[in-house]
Amino acid sequence: MKRPVRLEPGQKLVLTANRLLDGRTVWWGADGTWDLHIGRASLLDAEDADAVLARVVAEAQRDGVVGVYDTAVQAAVPPEPVTVREKIRAHGPTVHPEFAVETDQ
Amino acid sequence: MKLFELGERTAQVHDVLVTVTELADRDDARAVLLESADDPALVKPYLNRLELVVLRFPIFRDGRGFTQARELREYLRFSGEIRAEGHILPDQAAFLRRCGVDSVVLPKNGNGDPALWEKQLRQFPVAYQRSVLPERSVGPGLRVEEAS
Amino acid sequence: MSLPVGHYQYDRIDRDFLQARIAEFEGQVQRRLDGTLSEDEFKPLRLMNGLYLQLHAYMLRVAIPYGILDSRQLRRLGEIARRYDRDYGHFTTRQNIQFNWIRLEDTPAILRELAEVDMHAIQTSGNCIRNVTADEYAGAAADELVDPRVHAEILRQWSTLHPEFTFLPRKFKIAISGSPNDRVAARFHDIGILARPGEDGAPVFRIFVGGGLGRTPIIGEELFDSVREEHLLATLEAIVRVYNAHGRRDNIYKARIKILVQAIGVEAYREAVEAELAQMNLERYRLTPEAVAAIRSRFAVPLLEAPADADAVLAEQRRADPIFDRWVRSNTHVHRDPGHIIATISLKPAGGIPGDATSAQIGRLADLADAYSFGEIRITHLQNVVLGHVRKDRLRDLWLGLAEVGLAEANIGLIGDIVACPGLDYCALANARSIPIAQKLGARFADTALQAEIGALRINISGCINACGHHHAGHIGLLGVDKRGEEFFQLTVGGRAENGAAIGTILGAALPEDETVDAIARLVDCYLGRREGGETFLDTLTRLGHEPFREAAYETV
Ligand code: HEM
Ligand code: SF4
Repeated sequence: MKRPVRLEPGQKLVLTANRLLDGRTVWWGADGTWDLHIGRASLLDAEDADAVLARVVAEAQRDGVVGVYDTAVQAAVPPEPVTVREKIRAHGPTVHPEFAVETDQ
Repeated sequence: MKLFELGERTAQVHDVLVTVTELADRDDARAVLLESADDPALVKPYLNRLELVVLRFPIFRDGRGFTQARELREYLRFSGEIRAEGHILPDQAAFLRRCGVDSVVLPKNGNGDPALWEKQLRQFPVAYQRSVLPERSVGPGLRVEEAS
Repeated sequence: MSLPVGHYQYDRIDRDFLQARIAEFEGQVQRRLDGTLSEDEFKPLRLMNGLYLQLHAYMLRVAIPYGILDSRQLRRLGEIARRYDRDYGHFTTRQNIQFNWIRLEDTPAILRELAEVDMHAIQTSGNCIRNVTADEYAGAAADELVDPRVHAEILRQWSTLHPEFTFLPRKFKIAISGSPNDRVAARFHDIGILARPGEDGAPVFRIFVGGGLGRTPIIGEELFDSVREEHLLATLEAIVRVYNAHGRRDNIYKARIKILVQAIGVEAYREAVEAELAQMNLERYRLTPEAVAAIRSRFAVPLLEAPADADAVLAEQRRADPIFDRWVRSNTHVHRDPGHIIATISLKPAGGIPGDATSAQIGRLADLADAYSFGEIRITHLQNVVLGHVRKDRLRDLWLGLAEVGLAEANIGLIGDIVACPGLDYCALANARSIPIAQKLGARFADTALQAEIGALRINISGCINACGHHHAGHIGLLGVDKRGEEFFQLTVGGRAENGAAIGTILGAALPEDETVDAIARLVDCYLGRREGGETFLDTLTRLGHEPFREAAYETV
């Protein structure tokens, strides 16, 4: 079912979703927590991602998140998503810098 | 199979349930199963012996069953029982009833809780359009409530 | 309490109905949280109540039936923006308002606050009959034949929780107008209705079916020329019933009624509708004159009184103040009463976000509506706001009041009056951002004298093929596309939604985002350099054809 993931050198995968209660974009950490900051996301290798994703999807209801999927990032600190869409999810709408996730607490 | 009654007609269990195409060869059949793509007009030749039409919802978002029920009631004047089965939600109880469905086969998961179906039937005091049920106006305008 | 001007007045029964709908929704949220409803089951249920899940949060789309609000309702929207959102709202091309930062857990409370002022989010999304739209100048325009709002309200009521039509193959949009000058894009709707007076005093309706934009833009075809008022609901039931039974459900891109109409042809569709009507008990579906009168009686009619010199006062003020005069020229429309005028307030400040308004602006608009237009406000399908009945001698005061909150932009119908969807800044389906390019274009053409010089020119921007920004219908249309993760824009020219509806022609390969604004500037220069006499952009385009414009757009410097 799933498309094969092809990562460029220097890229990893992260898991992301939206919180059920407030809809906010969240990123998955290996300790099982979901965080608003992509900086706390766990970086996964392509070969491990499927198994982790399946496990996390199975726990989505319990964790209170919806629509779990993986997306490619540049493995920097903090990781930076590859696509415009995921950059906007990570940082907030580009037309409202005052709502940027980093400053939003 | 747990049945829930939406309306006046008492739900009857039939041992023989056939498809529309089988109907012609099965003189003993009193109950027919319509898939959502089936044209209800196909049962017209058998109306006087049919006691039950079951409408199968492949998924609750497939609303063809509502039109099928209305056509059975309004165009074919079918006066037997209409039942919905398959993937249906309690949130659809009043819609089903207002389109002429008498009973449902309760889903086997949390959506099959009869209390939810009961509650949904009583959710709205009025409606803004006529249905197949006997109704009286609660004016002004289009509003109606069920005449009991 | 006196009746509201412009929209239907609820009574206790209507209010009880809204409370029941909120209780139902609250129960659905509860069942989602406890896991009884899966996300796949919950999603269509929440959409039917206007709640989307977007990139950053939930989005709530609140219904503004036929685009008309009273000041008390508008004020409440401002309060909701302040309390539950981030201090702004976005007015849409379907005359609704959207809030972008909503929490699921707050939604029942928000719905209760809306219900206190007779508002709701019912059927603002989902595969059901959506909020009915109508002419933004209804009941005010000099060119109107029939005020469409009473019938728009009838359609709103009829479609609300319709037992048969709540799980259609796809969304279903109805627009109604009573003017010969189509201001609702009737032929771009699933059903478009044009009302005109009939012989017996009751209106008759011309009905178009199967129009739409999106992936497959199609201009609606005439199904019936003259449907009598008493058969309006029966006819609509029959049209939607045929669609519900036969519309495709296997592919969401082919599920709209337009695809069915194209597949079988409008004649076959008409026959199918007539076959339904022949079997229906028409008496049961009859829209009686009494029912129409009862609903009409819930609308207040504004008492239009103006001093005899109102017109002269306005003329003098325009002579004295050229900046005011420019605003009057672009932002007003002729009222049926000679002492009044229709004012359109632009939500397109140069460099701003098209259709966005802050809570403060929303509150101020409500105050101005109270002071100048019987407390009535209309939202237009071009994301602006209309005050429908302004006394001519008081127009300048209104304009000064608008200027105080940055709402006096003189650009209605001009190049700065850009229509844009939310795009990739918010929308989960987007390919590209629509707002930043709208802001850049707005800034590029900020000069109001230049805008007036360019004249009638509409730019529409959509962030993906779903066409929420109506790019196909823009004189210049921009469609965002994704090329390997980068934003590109495809340009179309020659679309129009007005009379003589047409779908724009694609000029060529999509351009990178950073070249798009320059390309549009070259298109405009091409027109300015080659127009003759008083030609508009569309006139010049029609005379010269696309080629010079294509060359201008793709000319590399
Ligand atoms: C931000 C969330 C939005 C989402 C997810 C969304 C989704 C969609 C989708 C999927 C379609 C295509 C439907 C089809 O052709 O079957 C569509 C069309 C449309 N949307 Fe949106 N939309 C959004 C916002 C808006 C806004 C803000 C407006 C108004 C400015 C709008 C107005 C429309 C209109 C008028 C169409 C037109 C085409 C048609 O129905 O034929 N939408 N939308
Ligand atoms: S056109 Fe596309 S990007 Fe824009 S709002 Fe609609 S679905 Fe989203």
